[in-house]
Amino acid sequence: MQKGFYFDQTRCTGCSACRVACKDWHDISAGPENWMRVLYTEKGTFPDVFVSYLAAPCYHCASPVCADACPVGAISKREGDGIVLVDSDTCLGNVECDVKCLKACPYDAPQFGPEKGAKMRKCNFCEDRWTEGKLPVCVESCPTRALDAGPLDVLTAKYGDLRDAEGFTWSKRTQPAVIFKPKRYEPHR
Amino acid sequence: MAVSEQSRVTGDRRIVRTTSAFDCGGRCPLRLHVEGGEIKRVEGDDVSEPDQLRACLRCRAYRKHIHHPDRLTYPMKRVGPRGKGAFERISWDEALETFASELTRLKEAYGNAAIFLAAGAGYLGSLHNGPAAAARLLAMFGGYTTHYGNVSSEGAVWASLTQYGSVMVGNSREDLLNSKLIIMWGWDPARMISGTNTTYHLIKARESGARIICVDPRYHDSAALLADWWIPIRPGTDTAMMVSMAYVMIKENRHDQGFLDRYTVGFDRFRDYVTGVEDGVEKTPRWAEAITGVEASTIEALAREYSTTRPAALMDCQGPARSAMGEQYNRCAMTLCAMTGNVGRPGGSAGGGLMGIPVGHLFRGPSIPGQKNPVEVGAPSVRGSLDLRLRLNRRVHINKMFDGILKGRSGGYPADIKMAWFLNNNFLNQLGNTNKAARALQSLEFLVVSELFMTPTARFADILLPVTSAAERNDLNRPWPSGPYLIFSNKAIEPIGECKSDLEIATDLAEKLDLKDFNPYEEEQWLRAFVEQNPENAQHIKDYEKFKRDGIHRINLPEPIVAFKEQIEDPVNHPFDTPSGKIEIYSQRVADMNHPLCPPIPKYMGTPEDWNDPLTESYPLQLLTPHPRNRVHSEMYKVEWLREVEPHRAWINPVDAQPRGIRDGDEVYVFNDRGKLAITAWVTERIIPGVVSIFEGAWYDPDEEGIDRGGCANVLTNDVYSGGGASVMNTVLVQVSRT
Repeated sequence: MQKGFYFDQTRCTGCSACRVACKDWHDISAGPENWMRVLYTEKGTFPDVFVSYLAAPCYHCASPVCADACPVGAISKREGDGIVLVDSDTCLGNVECDVKCLKACPYDAPQFGPEKGAKMRKCNFCEDRWTEGKLPVCVESCPTRALDAGPLDVLTAKYGDLRDAEGFTWSKRTQPAVIFKPKRYEPHR
Repeated sequence: MAVSEQSRVTGDRRIVRTTSAFDCGGRCPLRLHVEGGEIKRVEGDDVSEPDQLRACLRCRAYRKHIHHPDRLTYPMKRVGPRGKGAFERISWDEALETFASELTRLKEAYGNAAIFLAAGAGYLGSLHNGPAAAARLLAMFGGYTTHYGNVSSEGAVWASLTQYGSVMVGNSREDLLNSKLIIMWGWDPARMISGTNTTYHLIKARESGARIICVDPRYHDSAALLADWWIPIRPGTDTAMMVSMAYVMIKENRHDQGFLDRYTVGFDRFRDYVTGVEDGVEKTPRWAEAITGVEASTIEALAREYSTTRPAALMDCQGPARSAMGEQYNRCAMTLCAMTGNVGRPGGSAGGGLMGIPVGHLFRGPSIPGQKNPVEVGAPSVRGSLDLRLRLNRRVHINKMFDGILKGRSGGYPADIKMAWFLNNNFLNQLGNTNKAARALQSLEFLVVSELFMTPTARFADILLPVTSAAERNDLNRPWPSGPYLIFSNKAIEPIGECKSDLEIATDLAEKLDLKDFNPYEEEQWLRAFVEQNPENAQHIKDYEKFKRDGIHRINLPEPIVAFKEQIEDPVNHPFDTPSGKIEIYSQRVADMNHPLCPPIPKYMGTPEDWNDPLTESYPLQLLTPHPRNRVHSEMYKVEWLREVEPHRAWINPVDAQPRGIRDGDEVYVFNDRGKLAITAWVTERIIPGVVSIFEGAWYDPDEEGIDRGGCANVLTNDVYSGGGASVMNTVLVQVSRT
């Protein structure tokens, strides 16, 4: 069964604990490579302001266009749980192939370090943690419990099946494995 | 000392249960993955939900702080001009020999009062606590001069002591779930944490149906997350809005007169002030609108909602109290809590800003024994007094530390200071008027700084002593206003380089100074004694080894703590700890002080550098200096994982940016007569027009023209304090221009 994320946008403070915990667990240097990103939206005019955040990992799409775009087949979708994984050794690097996977992905999930020739890496759904019975580190680190992860049917039974959120557009083409509790703009009283 | 054997071993990687001990607002259990003497990963609390105490982003980056390549790893002495940061490596023996001989020389030349101890809150563990160690050592050496008060909450402390005679004014965070209405006044726990899991409890309260209203000049992240209603207000005018809310309640007879009669004294005097009987000015919502910028109809609506929704928690945090009349804001909030009968009631609040809870609270941790400071012998007793002037008889107010160093006795300070020992702090950066602070440090004959990093303060040292982090020793820790629980922070790694803890440094220095019996025990003996002999610890912890192994002892309470519950349920047997035994809306103790800035009832009074000061002709914008999220004040400033989360920027509304030709992302100067800093502008609708906000704690980095390129907010703030002792960090006027 396809695994995926649940994100409760109404609980996200934009603190970036998920992003930092991800860098810690996967030992990623400071810099442009961020397997988890926290995106910001601000709307309205003082004093009617709307603010939302979006935790943006890889959504492990049902139809991963990054895999289709990769010229050497370095990206694959795993049987069983549907996690999209990259074989960084096979990847040609950011110079030789000109980041075709990143250009294809509607969510900027493929990540590259700052150095020339950097190989693509990205959110691997903390596949190593699942084997220890742990959820992805972003989920377990969220101070407000805004994230969850698991088989999509389980998440759907628990949280419903909303596929949109502020700052996120669901791609029919790629079918990201994520459901949301979105934050909606409501004028203040 | 061996690394704790109690830590669990899995494979060749050890999991060490510990916590950081930052002055951060949280206190979070951590599991550090240690391998080869290095912390490889950080995980959080692993108790089953819903009780996990989850760390924030800062401790998620903890290992990058501990193992940062910029850590100081050996003692150094200054070799260039003071403040320029040129140092040379020396041995511990030379460092402490120099320190000891200078202490002896200056004591003989000027007397002990010339020695200044500047002790901060950078590490809040019990045993390896620098301030406690240095105070004991210098007292044994014949005494020292030091400072009084704290930067964060002195207004709230004074206000709570005035009104209730206690600083334990908080309810457990779980009690927020009993509230129908939560008014978050100047409170942004999403950033300043304010007790581990506090934001999570607020979320749960909101999801359970509580309505949340935020009163704040900024639409901060907590407001963006939680607020059903955001009421932007001009900084420094919170008290005026609260006074007019009281006016609405009184005029519409919405206040709980029965509660006021039974539990308070002096409401009639406050009512006379509010209704204008005292001074001829009715404190109507229209009166407040002109001061606060909040529409009269909004003030009326909030007053009605707060007085008719029960229970309701008015959470008046400390930021607005870091202002020129700051304590009046907390006093007025507490008065509103009494007028609505919310004190001592589940789901209500007592106000008072501190939010402290009794069990396990940070304030009550054990420490090595203190010793009476001989320099303070003969000072007037301050017991029970609210008069700050008594406390400043032998001490210097914390926010006047550098002025005191510069002016000494001729400036009205208790001593002429010739040398200073700064430890556990970066006060140059974190107190008012940083440029003056730099001049003050230049004036000293001798300066020792104990530090982990080359901070702006450390750059001025003559002798620089490298200190271990919390990961490099065993200690005990307590939470902020959350929990309750007690923490054993297990040592994770051996000290980096030649680092020593503040206690170890003081112990070695005591030997150089021939002071006997300074520290007769080993770490383990101290910690065991702290657990087994401290009554509060011993009451809860029956098995020291288990506590050490688990790293935490959670205290299970049958129901949430509610401040002053006993006083309200059984007032005859449980009077408040005030002279009247009641909540003192009118304080005779304050009246007797006859201090022009301390009215006996809470009042709105204008001050210099307010929104309407004539100085606004030159400096038309008000400055706020709130807590950052990606560092702990100025600690963890170097950690790149945290820095990249959010660039250091000045918030400015488009209404103020456009006439100055400032676009989002432009480099700007923010300046006044005290200083000038360069920073990136963030043009945002999230701040009230007329106000600029710069997160405190960025490191001071002046260029040759004296312009601070680091964006340290305190080059703009003033080194003054309010009548109740609040450090005035949010009553500041500035101008902004393009660079």
